Amino acid sequence: MSKFWMAGFSEHTMPEKYIDIFASQKGISYNHLVATLQAKILWQGVEIILTGLAPERCPPGREKPPMSFEITQGTAYIGYELARRLKLKKGKTIEIRGKTLTVADTLSESGGVDDIRIQCHLRDVQDILNLKGQINEIKAIDCLCFLLTDDPLVILREELAAVLPEAKMIQMKPMAIARAETRQLVRNVFAVIMPIVVVACGAWIGVLAIMNVRDRQQEIGIMRALGYGSGRITLLFLGKAVIIGLLGAAVGFFTGTALALNFGPGIFKVTAKAIKPEYVWLVWSLIAAPVFTAVFSFIPAMIAVTYDPAVTLREE
Amino acid sequence: MVVLENVVKSYRGRQGDVKALSDINLRIERGEFVVICGPSGSGKTTLLMTIAAMLRPTSGSICVEEHDIYKMSIRERAKFRAENIGFVFQMFHLVPYLNVVENVALAGGIAGRNGGAVKAKELLRQLGLAQRAFHKPSELSAGEKQRTAIARALLNRPKIILADEPTGNLDPDNTTSVLGYLSDFHHSGGTVILATHGTEAEQFADRVIYLRNGQTDSPPRTPRTQRRNY
Repeated sequence: MSKFWMAGFSEHTMPEKYIDIFASQKGISYNHLVATLQAKILWQGVEIILTGLAPERCPPGREKPPMSFEITQGTAYIGYELARRLKLKKGKTIEIRGKTLTVADTLSESGGVDDIRIQCHLRDVQDILNLKGQINEIKAIDCLCFLLTDDPLVILREELAAVLPEAKMIQMKPMAIARAETRQLVRNVFAVIMPIVVVACGAWIGVLAIMNVRDRQQEIGIMRALGYGSGRITLLFLGKAVIIGLLGAAVGFFTGTALALNFGPGIFKVTAKAIKPEYVWLVWSLIAAPVFTAVFSFIPAMIAVTYDPAVTLREE
Repeated sequence: MVVLENVVKSYRGRQGDVKALSDINLRIERGEFVVICGPSGSGKTTLLMTIAAMLRPTSGSICVEEHDIYKMSIRERAKFRAENIGFVFQMFHLVPYLNVVENVALAGGIAGRNGGAVKAKELLRQLGLAQRAFHKPSELSAGEKQRTAIARALLNRPKIILADEPTGNLDPDNTTSVLGYLSDFHHSGGTVILATHGTEAEQFADRVIYLRNGQTDSPPRTPRTQRRNY
């Protein structure tokens, strides 16, 4: 293990088929298994880390959308420092030990070892290193959503000891903690922000509805004079609120989804593949938004009903 | 037929109650054209609103077409108003974002009568507004607005039309025209109760009732002095 810690990865390899054993285990709390082959090599006079990544695999019954971007064969993602130093740009062709690859993208500065890393498809790296069918790590990308107080390493070691006692398991702690902290932070922020946003939006809808009722005071008076009852007038205002809620939900969903699909992959590079339209949210929005607008428009609708047509029409 | 018995209407003000109507007793026969005349603040609008089932009197009873309208539930009163009473206002009170046909057909929506738009167009044709059918109120002259309001009042074939200063914003030609249409309704058997502070409508009236400080001050019956000439 000391070599592992010194290098940052294992210099020993194992058969790629080992991932099948991990991926076929049931009842273990990991997802997103990635077979990885890494090596330090000298390329164009620079010492680099070449990393080959296979597409993610999930254990049976725990299938989830992939968290990381998928690397297609024949392409390479270049770390920031390498790209800067060797003037590599997206679309350019490079050759590593006789293997031709196209630069799919250059990565932003990480301030770590990733800046001198070239990431390719596992097959390409196996060809370059002449290690066909070999890997040296299986990464389980943490998506277990543990709380900061849980220790996933203890949980996974316990679970794996029963079925794969020879497996060595380590946690890339800084990354895992950073992710867990981020999740916790997001949870905390949402717990505070969301109720405030909901109440503020509701109050705003209520204010707009009251303004609408005041603007339409004359119209309400006319309708009362024409014989429209309280029920019809209530329906008029609540109906409008419901229609606005429905439209708002649909427009909000499609705008948000379009923005997420356009800009999300650029911002969240690691989880780019997980960004996709979630139509179940459209259904929920179409149910919740009209109810929400109707609830907050109820008081203004009641105000509209209580307008005295005689007073309204006499004042005009 | 409209019968008011001992109708009193008071408004609560900062300096005590203000009596808008004091012990009004009035009987208006079916098919009568009655002009209620009086200065501003005499209680004309309050009287019309109480007859229209829109303003409950403080005391007394109001029977319209043999129904004591304030003994009805709110829902029944709204239905009764939609089916029996048409309203014409001085300020027209058209819905600004609806076009002329839609404004007229708006009245058909509540009475539950089908073909509101078709009937509205026919009425607009009769009132010389066919070419304005799809214009917004803001694009109409004052006379056209008032004719639209009359069409709206006529849509449900009401038994009574209540007109509150219907010519107050109109020039003499349009005044004559509007009064003429109300007179036509009267001649077809409808009851017209028109409130005004002017004298133009008196020539069309079967009876003129003067209202002063919330009290009637009318001769029992004023014969029509002049026939319409529009």
